[in-house]
Amino acid sequence: MPKNSAPKNLVISNNIRRLRFEAGEMTQIELAEKVGASRQTILNIEAGKYTPSLDLAFRIADAFGVTLGEVFERQPAGGA
Amino acid sequence: MSHKSKGTITNMIASALVLAAYVTYALRRGAGEPESLQSWALTILVFIGIAVAVSIVAQIVFRIGLSIAIGVTERTDDSARINRVVTSSLAEDEMDRQIGMRADRVGYVCAGIGVVGMLVMLAFGAPLVASLHVLLGSFALGSLVAGAVSVHGYERGFVNA
Repeated sequence: MPKNSAPKNLVISNNIRRLRFEAGEMTQIELAEKVGASRQTILNIEAGKYTPSLDLAFRIADAFGVTLGEVFERQPAGGA
Repeated sequence: MSHKSKGTITNMIASALVLAAYVTYALRRGAGEPESLQSWALTILVFIGIAVAVSIVAQIVFRIGLSIAIGVTERTDDSARINRVVTSSLAEDEMDRQIGMRADRVGYVCAGIGVVGMLVMLAFGAPLVASLHVLLGSFALGSLVAGAVSVHGYERGFVNA
């Protein structure tokens, strides 16, 4: 069985607010409509209060035309 | 507070009102009395129907109220724009399903405790009608607790769920 060497105590952060700004101040409603989610979900993801599924994460990246890694990144908990 | 939380609370209030009405009725009638189980079953069915109807009306009233509130806060009377905000705010997606699953799980626990409670009561010779009400009460309580769990999920969110 392979040993899990992934670092622990990492949290997922995101750059959605910045990407929305760079996309001409795209509103949360516009992004929600583009990715097929509710505004509440986008708001929670942006605030780091909800971890989206991989499918939704890819749709968000597609909406901005960037890679998944440019939208979401892992950082040490409590810092960055 | 999010619009979805408000919608859930509206449903909870509607359910609580119907439950309060039923409890008042049952206490006047005497739920512990050795009465016809069939008669009580019919009464409960009627109240379940009322609860469903009240819930639908409450959601319609909530949606109308939300549309008015959005119109006021956004300072617009453009119905298309208001409808867009309402639809986007209340659209169901993966987060709703995850919160719903978590809430249902808590609701099932309450209902399960009610089933066991009813069986214990029957085992100790409690009246059938009283046992039936323990079961009904556990389902009603489970529904309210599930609502509270949903509101908690919407407000606090959940990470790595």
